[in-house]
Amino acid sequence: MEQQSVPSKTGVVGAGHHSVSSRLSKAWVREHMAALLFLGPSLLVLGIFVFYPMLKTLYLSFFLTNDAGEGTVFIGLTNYISLLKNPSYIASLVATLTYVILVSAITVVLGLVLAVAANQHLKGIKIFRTLFSSTMGVSVSVAAIFWLFVFNPSVGILTQLSNALHLPVLNWMTDPKLAMAAIVITTVWMHLGFTFLILFGSLQQVPSSLYEAAEIAGTSKWYQVLHITVPMISPTLFFVMIVTLIDAFKSFGLIDLMTAGGPNNATNLLVYRIYQDAFLNGNYGQASTESIILTVIIAVMTLLQFKLLEKRVNY
Amino acid sequence: MKRSKIFGMLALLLMFSVGLAGCVKTKAASKTKIVFWNEMTGPAEVQLDKFAKQFNASQSKYEVVPEYEGSYNGVVQKIIQTHGSGASPALFQSFDISTTQLGNLKLATPVQKFIDRDNYDMSKIMPVAKKFYSKNGQQLSMPFNTSQPVLYYNASLLKRLGIKNPPKDPSYSDITRVATQIIQKSHGKIKGLSVEEYAWLLEEFMANQKEEFANHDNGRSSTPTAVKIDTPAARTAMQWVRDNIKKGNFMNYGSGSNAAANEMAAFLSGKLGIFLQSSADIGQITAGTKDKLGVTFYPHADGHKANGVAIGGASLWISNDKPKNVQNGAWEFTKFLMKPENQAKWQEQTGYMALNKESQKTDTLKNLYKKVPAAKVPSEQLARTVPNDANSGILLEGLVQERVLTQTAMQQIYGGSNISDSLKTAEDGMNTFIKNNNKANGY
Repeated sequence: MEQQSVPSKTGVVGAGHHSVSSRLSKAWVREHMAALLFLGPSLLVLGIFVFYPMLKTLYLSFFLTNDAGEGTVFIGLTNYISLLKNPSYIASLVATLTYVILVSAITVVLGLVLAVAANQHLKGIKIFRTLFSSTMGVSVSVAAIFWLFVFNPSVGILTQLSNALHLPVLNWMTDPKLAMAAIVITTVWMHLGFTFLILFGSLQQVPSSLYEAAEIAGTSKWYQVLHITVPMISPTLFFVMIVTLIDAFKSFGLIDLMTAGGPNNATNLLVYRIYQDAFLNGNYGQASTESIILTVIIAVMTLLQFKLLEKRVNY
Repeated sequence: MKRSKIFGMLALLLMFSVGLAGCVKTKAASKTKIVFWNEMTGPAEVQLDKFAKQFNASQSKYEVVPEYEGSYNGVVQKIIQTHGSGASPALFQSFDISTTQLGNLKLATPVQKFIDRDNYDMSKIMPVAKKFYSKNGQQLSMPFNTSQPVLYYNASLLKRLGIKNPPKDPSYSDITRVATQIIQKSHGKIKGLSVEEYAWLLEEFMANQKEEFANHDNGRSSTPTAVKIDTPAARTAMQWVRDNIKKGNFMNYGSGSNAAANEMAAFLSGKLGIFLQSSADIGQITAGTKDKLGVTFYPHADGHKANGVAIGGASLWISNDKPKNVQNGAWEFTKFLMKPENQAKWQEQTGYMALNKESQKTDTLKNLYKKVPAAKVPSEQLARTVPNDANSGILLEGLVQERVLTQTAMQQIYGGSNISDSLKTAEDGMNTFIKNNNKANGY
């Protein structure tokens, strides 16, 4: 298709060969019409729901917005500058990175441990396999309510446990550090089922002959995990890491239900802040700026991950 | 053969859908649908749905459809952004602090228009509430669920522990005394006091000490250009909370709906002695515990006479993007809700104050006061309040933003940060917002 479009263009420019050029351009049009027909529906949908909002977001990020959410006063990069100078925004940025890194690291490590454990040929192991993957079926709201109950300051299980053991009661939802821990724990718990299942699936693909050979060579189990299992499943590990990372960046429901960004903005992650600024405060200019910054961050993180990790992936 | 089968199925489908459309049409033709957005939960939601059902059964022209739309904070932007589209409501409930913005945006037909047309008697409606939702003598929206912040205490618990009740008009130190006694006499098992990290409560501390939040007479003389949050009244109130935290009397449940629910659960289960909250909780408390409930006026700073607090709650707006008959239906339902008997029922079930003066004569309220004398306190507090610019609400756009900023300041303060610095941060953040907002809207 592309090859044909080149001569057709030259045909239009070279005005001498009328009959040839018109025939070619007709063919060109016909060909492209067909392409357009096939692409049209998805272009239309993407245009309306992806490209237009993206451009509008970029546009609004250079404006102050009025009560109706329209950009009225052009202010150039002021939104960007004032955001990057705002300590509470920087705190959000740091909180988001902390959350994302903790969640993806812990999820992948725990998922791997569970997967290796479930891969042992023991009696009743199937029950554990089912249990380990069971959080996949839990929705965000159920998970949030379940964990809120665990962390509840008056009647929560943790509080009752600490009371019974005469340990100090922790204020999970009002202490900034503990609130972050609480949402990390909950997110890891939620992601674990999926991560476990994917890693477990790939573990079963590793040929057992490799382990047998290692066994004969007299290596330890730990050595086998590090030098056989991890390299053999590295593509899957890489995939799982990226998926958890991007998922963690997008965490919203859990934050909204559990902490609403508090206390003291400790869990006010970038996505939640965008929601707050746009749909609670009606500050669409600032929210658009935050969206653009987040997009750049996610793109950079994903690129970095590809660049750094792909080299070590043993396909 | 195959083709005819497909055609047959298509025909059947077509018939079915036409039939369905017919059904919808006949129903719609007989009754005009009035979509009513609200943000009520718990007993208030139940009662509101009952009102809608009763209204629908009482006449044949309109069908009110109540739709719960989430939190007060979230619904304002939904109203603004759906206005003029098919998804917008005919009647909507929006909270006190959104009044200035909604009024400026002109999304609603001022209810004054319907009041004038029907010669509706507004003199029956509580003046403070009426004034809150009117501008230049014109009623923008109908005051509906109206509350006051009050102090709740568990009277049975105090009696069991042998503690004297706090006075009806308590000062901060009165409350500290009772809270300290609760924690001491219960050997640390019961927490004395909770003040939710909720910006409304801080605004009310300031109103009660006669401080104006926004300049230009709290926005009454012209559009405000700045707010003051780091003020003597705010600092005193926050210092009071900090003193109670230091003494170990205080229980911090955090902020947001989870915090309010946990606070309520602790109070109902006898694990918390005193808390400050909206009077709208009375219904839920009396339904949830057999313990005797005590209610006092909102506490005031020592050495300052209570100035009285501003009302909270929400009002009803009639959207102007709907045809005339729909707007009329919305107005009819609004009038229905304001009837003396319905207002009495509303107060009995929820704790929001009956706004119709004639409601006080109903058996519903007489019985309520007999059963729960404390239920009278919010209206008594309101009755003795002399309205001034400090205690009649803040007329400022973007108060949703202020609530978020002030709440963060409270979280910092409860967590041990410097009181003045935290309040100042909120103040600066809000003033930047006001400057930009005024510029963007051309004020």
